[in-house]
Amino acid sequence: MKYQKPHEDQKYIDGLVQNNSFVIQSIYNKFAPKVISYIKKNSGDETNAQDIIQETIITIYNQAKDKKLVLTCPFDAYFFLLCKRKWLNELKKRGTKEVTINEEVLSKDDDAFKHAEETSLYDEKYHLFKEMFNQIGTACKDLLEATFKIKSMEEVAKSLGVTYAYARKKKSLCIGKLTELIKASPKYNQLYN
Amino acid sequence: MNEQDYILFEAYLTESLSKEELASFEERLLNDKDFKSAFELYKQVNGFLEQAYSKDAQEFKSNLETISSDYFNSTSSQKGKVVSLWKYAIAASVVIIFGLFMFNNFSNPTYGDFADYGEINLTIRSIQGDVIKDAEDAFNSKDFTKADKLFTELLEADSNNTEIQYYKAIANIELSNYNTADTLLENLSKGQSVYKHDALWYLALSKLKQEKNDECLNILKTIPEESEVYDKAQKLVKKLD
Repeated sequence: MKYQKPHEDQKYIDGLVQNNSFVIQSIYNKFAPKVISYIKKNSGDETNAQDIIQETIITIYNQAKDKKLVLTCPFDAYFFLLCKRKWLNELKKRGTKEVTINEEVLSKDDDAFKHAEETSLYDEKYHLFKEMFNQIGTACKDLLEATFKIKSMEEVAKSLGVTYAYARKKKSLCIGKLTELIKASPKYNQLYN
Repeated sequence: MNEQDYILFEAYLTESLSKEELASFEERLLNDKDFKSAFELYKQVNGFLEQAYSKDAQEFKSNLETISSDYFNSTSSQKGKVVSLWKYAIAASVVIIFGLFMFNNFSNPTYGDFADYGEINLTIRSIQGDVIKDAEDAFNSKDFTKADKLFTELLEADSNNTEIQYYKAIANIELSNYNTADTLLENLSKGQSVYKHDALWYLALSKLKQEKNDECLNILKTIPEESEVYDKAQKLVKKLD
């Protein structure tokens, strides 16, 4: 893919990655009202909007931290698309039949669609991972949580009363097991091919 | 993939393969499609885990929650305050305490004059919502025995949670379990958490409650000037000196 110059709104992504409160606040001030009014018009209320916006920001943060995210479109369009998708998914889950999708509100910015697509895919993969993580069994879960919280494998080994070599081996086998669970799930083919 | 492959993946990601091993690993990546895709997934899951449990991400989330509820509280008035209430409670109790302090200026300072933790609100930071809520309620209703029990339970699941360690210490001062309280506070004061200086402050108050005024003084004097508790520490120093 050829290098594309980041949009000036990349500052919002960078601010999120740096956990810059000022930037986060300005995202709320500038972009939340449109999402709130959309959700309110489509069978939701303000609390729903609060959750959707928060989850969307966390998703963007995760993707940007993990994969680097270079925005080539206005943040507004990208953010709104993501919130809207999340809300429509939520409505689907609830089984709400009547959804008035006001396509007029959507931006026709191609890059925004592309970015939103990527982020949604990342989000779905992340959720699949979370779901499978809850199934791997307590021993693995504890070990992995300790490993990624504490960071130093030596300390993890010490806190669990095992040797360093054993802890590291266990860690790789637990992640391996997790990848196998992910692969075996029906969603895997949908998301990875 | 077999176990050996996962061990290899891990070794590759932590850059602990020898030169020869590295060469053969990279060759396999090029020639073995299944190996490559298994490795890609392994790497991705590793990234997810890093993301899910990193300190940065936890801090980001709690910051975001604060900003989010501030934003939504100011747009709609019917919702209760979640986050900043206890801060106001502390600010208010500090004002009251200093008010009392002025009146009591000629009596000996006591722990009760200075303990200013106010109401606490822990709910926004954890997934163990119920236990957290119970602990918070117990603490706020001054049932410190119960609060201590619940804090201990929470720490079993999340032993690095400095916020819980801090309030557990305070509960133990209240219960006069000074050994427990002082050990927790000493560790916190040596760490790098936001409770570092508050821990020193409460460690000093714990000594005050034990009537070990000299020890109290010595601890107060180690509280640095840039700390938020510096001013009240200085007031107590003047009183004790």
